[in-house]
This record gives sequence, structure tokens and C-alpha cells, in this order.
Amino acid sequence: MSIALNDIQPGACLENDYAWSEQQRVACAIGGIYTALAIERVLPIMHSGPGCQGNINGVLASTNGGQNADTFLESVIPSTNFCEADVVFGGQERLRKLVADSVKYYNADLFVITDGCTSEIVGDDIEEIANDYAGTGTKVIHVALPGFKGNNLWGHSQVLNAIIDQYLPTAEEAAAIPKNPKQVNVFGVVPFYDTFWVATLEKLEGLLRDIGFEPNIFYGRDKGLAAVDKIPAAGFNLLLSPWVDSDVVRKLEQKYETPFFHYPAVPVGPSETNRFIRAITEYAGTDRIAAEAYIKKQEDRYYYYLNHFLRWIYTCRVQPREFFINSSATQALSLTRYLVNDLGFIPRRIFINEDVPEDNQSRILADFHDLDWKGAADIEVIFTADGGLCDQYVKRSDTSFRKTVILGTTWDELTAKTRRIPFVPVSAPYGDVIVGQKTYFGYDGGLALMQDIFNDAAAKGMGTVN
Amino acid sequence: MTIDLTQIEAQTREQRLGSITGYDGSLEDLTAQGCAGCLKNKSRDFQTVSSCAHHHAINQLAGLEGVVVVDHAPIGCAGAQIGFSVAKNRLPFPPEGPFPEHAKVVSSGINEPDTIFGAIDKLKKTIRDAYERHHPREIYVTTSCTSAVIGEDVYSVVLEMREELGIPVEIAAGEGLRSKIWASGFDAYSHAVSKVRFGEKKERKNTINYLGFAPAGREYVDPIFERLGLELICLTAGATQEDFARATQSVASWGQCSSQSNYICSVLEQQYDVRYLQSHLPYGGIGFERFLRDLGKLIGKEDTAEEIIAEEKAKYADQIAELRAKLDGKKALIALGSGFAFEYTRVLGELGVEVVHTVAYHYDPVLDQNNLENEIAAACDVKELKLNVAASINDAQEMETNLLIKHYKPDFLLSRGHEAVAWALMQGIPAMDSEIGFVVMGYRGLVEFGTTLAELLENTNFVKRLGERYKSPFTAEYENLKPFSFYREEAI
Repeated sequence: MSIALNDIQPGACLENDYAWSEQQRVACAIGGIYTALAIERVLPIMHSGPGCQGNINGVLASTNGGQNADTFLESVIPSTNFCEADVVFGGQERLRKLVADSVKYYNADLFVITDGCTSEIVGDDIEEIANDYAGTGTKVIHVALPGFKGNNLWGHSQVLNAIIDQYLPTAEEAAAIPKNPKQVNVFGVVPFYDTFWVATLEKLEGLLRDIGFEPNIFYGRDKGLAAVDKIPAAGFNLLLSPWVDSDVVRKLEQKYETPFFHYPAVPVGPSETNRFIRAITEYAGTDRIAAEAYIKKQEDRYYYYLNHFLRWIYTCRVQPREFFINSSATQALSLTRYLVNDLGFIPRRIFINEDVPEDNQSRILADFHDLDWKGAADIEVIFTADGGLCDQYVKRSDTSFRKTVILGTTWDELTAKTRRIPFVPVSAPYGDVIVGQKTYFGYDGGLALMQDIFNDAAAKGMGTVN
Repeated sequence: MTIDLTQIEAQTREQRLGSITGYDGSLEDLTAQGCAGCLKNKSRDFQTVSSCAHHHAINQLAGLEGVVVVDHAPIGCAGAQIGFSVAKNRLPFPPEGPFPEHAKVVSSGINEPDTIFGAIDKLKKTIRDAYERHHPREIYVTTSCTSAVIGEDVYSVVLEMREELGIPVEIAAGEGLRSKIWASGFDAYSHAVSKVRFGEKKERKNTINYLGFAPAGREYVDPIFERLGLELICLTAGATQEDFARATQSVASWGQCSSQSNYICSVLEQQYDVRYLQSHLPYGGIGFERFLRDLGKLIGKEDTAEEIIAEEKAKYADQIAELRAKLDGKKALIALGSGFAFEYTRVLGELGVEVVHTVAYHYDPVLDQNNLENEIAAACDVKELKLNVAASINDAQEMETNLLIKHYKPDFLLSRGHEAVAWALMQGIPAMDSEIGFVVMGYRGLVEFGTTLAELLENTNFVKRLGERYKSPFTAEYENLKPFSFYREEAI
């Protein structure tokens, strides 16, 4: 590769010069359909190639912790399976018939017509077909998702924006909906792409409820359009990510005058969870004393369980100490804060490989500098679309004498295995395993991550004192 | 038809073979129409997602040793390759190394401006950078729906890069929009790799080629071929350049299934006189006996073949009898790839199971060989064994298969890879994905498969509980449809 790896500068954006990528850790825009599928009884109808769903499925679902959609398993998603003849004659009429049949066959509350690269290039009009259903009582919206326009995070944004623009009430209609100051809409956790989304959202919901809020989450079990319908009523929106969904909460601020509270990391471990609770309590002006009581209880609990395996860690072992992360912005920031602030680890190099838009990068870098550690200002963060860059860097790095850990995706697993470096998957594609209800969120999540790191270190033979 | 490797790309299966994805009737009628050259495809108004040729061209190429695949496509088109790479790297590897590495698939990342101004320079840069990063022995450039629709001249870049880098650089054209049959992607892979890896015709050697996804289970079959004096060469994931070069000297080839394997087997037969054993695949006891007799005759070792057959049959006779006692009279529905659906129809019969309906994901009425007495396996079974079954063809159309499950209410469903199993399980019907390749070869394979099946049916509590909770996400209108309601009026 023409890039000299040692020349990679912190914060450098490699996107323009190095647009190609390997080891795909994102899907194309069509990955946005997983955001629709995460909302119960919402059905995407695809106007794209026969394999488009399968191609996003690998990185976002099946090889990402063995996930699949719930209400409508992926295999029954209607699709025109766009073909050569459609390039010549257009596929719009085939799509019209497909949508009509889908409305007859599926018990869906909302149908989301999506397109892809080829149908977009030939100019099929999906909006016109969605408009056929205006005023019919059947809710049909449309979202253009050509893969050449962006990755699954762009697609996720398109889907949420379409729901806000086409499904939710207008600002005038919403004016009559009374605001509930305790209701908090949760944004920032991207379903499916964030491998831990199911459990993270469930735990977050519990935490917010415990400290006096009424969380409103749209993705996952028992939510559906009833939760989506409540969006305009929220007292404020919580944006829990470094950058994803920032466009969405801004749009909602404009449309419904709902303010938003931005906390850039999904809290992992006691320091960050405490900080999050204090910050959101202060923002909302809710009961600080109750929040402190909650923090005290949870922190004590964390250290009780940590003490329960302290001897295992500190007897005849050398601990892992430095880490590489090759992951999404959310996981990179969230895990770095825990590893540095609570576990006393040292970040070696952080690769964020989800093609973060340039205008978000400096702010994310500032979030990384916001650490309880003297070396925070020098932390090396690389923004790239190329998932293989970190792998190249690790392969060329001298890790002898160092107690290194890699946190990444299953793409990083073989390099770690070959070099006997402890490894923990933390993001898509997580691996060909069942992730189930695992999450590193919160107090318990910190302990779970700690256990995973130390267990793999032990399994790889690191640090057993002779 | 004769395969012409001087062509830039392989034709699709629809074009070459008259293959179809829409049919309902019976196996007997299907093969009769196919043999007579009058088989028509039925198309559907209502369809669900399927799979694409592009995906399968890449996963086959990227599994080869020493290869980088450059995908000239938007980023997502290679998004599922990790699944294949993980599967491949779970295979045993020699402790002395080399260590396994993940598939090297580099996406040129076609973006919106590229769709207007073209992305040829970007492709060149991607190929150069990929070469510099990995120093592969070969580079394969796959084309995509988008590169095709915007009219990229990828082949010119391939020629230029071949010259510049001094290594084989080849195109594999498996655009998803060109074929309804994802197996066309296997052909794109086969066409490209045949051009690069098969060299001059050399003297015959005592080797036999196996084409398939993976060499898993070869330890079970190596001894059989050794007794016949043949060394097995696996042109599967992990195959080296040398494996391919040696394959041209073999006495025969066969494949895990006609879908994945027939193109390369046909190239080897047509250009290197390596006999393609396509009519009798060695699955189950019947398949094994016919395959071994064909092979024994070909190499003049009929007696050894008969000895092996007798020994294998005797070795597993008791276990097979036990399995038959457990499985006799059970009713099965099959939904499998074209090359396997009717194989398993026969194999289940050997275990006493009645197959009530077989869905194949596509159907090839002929294969590429130009040797007309060498018929496709399904047609042979109809002629030789009077095998027949209610049959339909759909490209993993699970809404259609689901209607068949409801209609037939089988004791179990046998499938692989496209979620039919999930729909059956949710509705309380035991179901499993099936093995392919060496693992299910011969009498040993029959016992392995039959044992798994018997275990599936021995305690069905898991599916029973699932079925009790099942709530259909579909309307009554759908649930009351007759199977095959999605066809368009006219056949095209």
C-alpha cells in the first residue's frame, strides 16, 4: 500500500486519498433496512438486486453475533430482485405490484419502500408508489438507499429521517400533543450494527427508569410504532453516541422543539456510568440526591464483584496493559474511557473505521482527550474507511515486551490468534457466535468486559508468572 | 455446450443451459421436459429476497490460496464475505503453518460521483494498492451491478494491470442483475480461475479431482481412493495454484454438486480429457455404488471397486438397518440447492423416508459437458431408479416454500442456508440444514446423515415449544393461498 503506516497521524482523515477499503466492517446504505426491521411490525420492501439483502446481512446480522430480524425474518422481505431487463425497461411497475401484494400478505404497521444502486441510477420513482397509499390508512413511506451514496450509518439516518418526515405528525399536528417532561427518547444506539444493542437498550431503559425518567426506546421487544408515535411528546431527546443520530436529534429539535442532551459515550464501567448519571441529572434538573444514592449503591456493587476475582487477576499473573481498538466510534470511545479511567490501561492506537464524516472528527478527538490520564492529549486516533489498516499496523508493530490487547471485530481475530495477543470482539462483524443478551453497558458491563479481556489473556498464555 | 475460455466472461446459466427458477410439477416431468429441450421458466409477480451471483463469485475466489479479490463495487457488495472467511478458517490447518489468514477482499468503493464520472482510475489505484499491501500471486477483479450499469470498461484495466504488475490479473464478471441464479457466480469464478490456473496439457497421473466448497471430511474418503490407486486433489477453498495445475493431469473429476462444480469439471473434460463423473454422485449407498462402478470401469479396476462396495456396505449394514427402523414412514419436505435437492430425495428413500415434495433453488436441464450420454444426475435417477417426487423450483422464495410446508405438514424439513429451516422450526416442525460433500458420501455418509436425522426426531420438545408460541406475521389472505400463487399468468 502506498501509505507509510508509520506516517499515520492522529486524527488524520484518510478517506479522500484512500477511498478503497478491505475487511468490511460496515454495510452499504441498504443496511438501513435493519433499523426498520428493529422496530416491531415494520416491513421494508426492497427495490434492489437479489443479493443486496444477503450482502448486508453478513456484516450486520448473521456474522455479527448470530442476529436475525424478529417480526419478519430477512428471508421473507419482499424484493423486486432488480434485474437486467429492469435496467432497460425500468422496474417501477413490478415494484408497484410487489407493494400491493405485500400490503395484502403481511401484518405490518408500516411499509418502507427502499431502493438500491441500480434502481436509483435508472431513475425508478419509489416516492410515486408510496404516494399511491396516501390517505388509504395503509402506511407506506419511501427511502432511497443506494449503496454508492453511503454506508449503513448513512442508510440508518435516511430511514430515521424518512420516518420523521413522512410518518410522524407535522409540527402543527404535534402542537396538540402534550409534552411529558420525564419522557426521554433514546437515540444513538444503532440496532444490529451495534452488536450489543438489544441488551444495551434494555439495561439503559432500566437505568433511566431507576433514576426517575420515562425512557422511550423504539427498537426491540414490545416497542413498535406505539413508541415511535410518542417521539413528539418527549421532554428531551438523549443522544448517546459520538456522532451517529446527531442529525436526527437536531431535526427533532427543529420540528418539535424538543431539546437534546448529548452524551458522547455509551457508559461502560463505574466512572463513566457515574458521570453519565450526574450529567443527565444535571441537564434535566432531576433529583440529584436520589441519583447519588443510586450511584453509591451501584458502584459499591461493582467493586464488591470486582473484589470477588481480584486474587485471580493478581496472583501469579501479568496483566494486559495496552490496547489497540479497531472499531466503531461509539465502541472505540466508550471502551477507551473504561479501559483508561477504570482499568488503568494505555491506548496504543485507536482505529475508527466507519468512515466518520469529516466535520465530526475533531469533536470526537476532543472526546478522546477527555480522559482521566496524563497521556490523553497524545492519544492516537485514526479515522478511516479501511478496516484492514489496523491489521496492517498491528502486523508491523513490535509488541514484544508489551502486554497488548486488541479490541475489534472477528476480522482482527486471526491476527491476534496468530500472534497470541488477547482479543475481544466488540463490534460488527462480531463473529459467527450467538451474542444473545451480552452488553458492556453500565456497571455490570464493565465487569463483563474485564472478564473477557483477562480470560482471553489467560487462554493465550499471557502473563502466567513462572 | 463447449466452454470458450477465450471469452472475457462466462455466460449466465440461463443463457448457457436454459436453467430456470420457476416450475411446479414432478421430478419426472421436469427431467423429461429438460431432456427434450422444452422446459419453460415461470416468473413471479411476488418475490422475496434471494442471493446474487456476485456474492458467490467473490466467496469462491477469495477462498483460494494466494489471491486478492478486488471488488469494483460500492462498499456493501462484499459485506457478507466475513462469513465465508470465518467458516474457511475453522477448517483444520497444519500446526507447522502457515497460519490461516482472513480472505483478502478489497472494495474499490464506487461512490456517487463515480456513477457520473466513472471510477476506472480509482479501480487502478485500488488494484495497485491492494498489490502493494498483500503481494498476492493473483488478483481477481469482480464486477458489480453498479460497475455494469455505469458502463465501466473493467477488462481494459485488467489487461493494463496484468502488464504493469507482472502477475495474473483476471476479471470475474458476476453482476447480480445478470442472472436470477446465484450459481452463475460459481461460473464466473470458474471461468476466471480456469483461465489463470490451468496450464499446458501434460501426461496423465493417477489423481482424481474433487470440486467443492471445502475439503472437510476428506479423511473419510482418502483411504477409498488410495485403494483404487488414486490420489485425491481438492479444488476447494484453500486450493493452491499447484493443485489446479495438477488437476489437468487427473483421470477424472467430480463435484459436490452440479451448481458449484460443473463449469470447472467441464473445462477439464473438454480441454484436458479429464472425465467428468456427473451422472452418479456418490451420496448415500446407491450413489456411492454407481459412482465407484463408473470410476472402477474408467480406470480398469472394477474388481477393486466391487470389493470396496461390498466392504463398505457390510461395515455399515447394521447401523443402516437400525436407522431405517427409526425413520421408516416419516414424511419429509426438501428445500435445497439444485445439485443436492434430488440427491437427498434419493438418499432419504434409502433410509425409508417418504419425500412428499422437493424444492430445488434452480434447475439446470443440461450441464456444460458436450457428451450427451453423460446425463445430469436427476435425470439418471428418474431413468434408472424410477425416482419421482412432487417438485418445484424457486430461488429460495421462502413465502412459497412456507406455503408448501403448510400444505404438506411434513414430519420434518431438510434444507440448507436460506432460512426455510427457521420458518419450519417456528411453526413446530423439526428441521435441519444438511451437510454436503465428503461428509455425506457413501454408506458412512448415510449413517452420519441418518444418525443426525434420527437424533433430530428423537426429542422434538424444542420445536414443539416454539410451535406452541408461533404467531404468524402474515395475513389470513396469505395463509390461505394455495402453493404457487405467485406466478405471473403467462410463462416467459
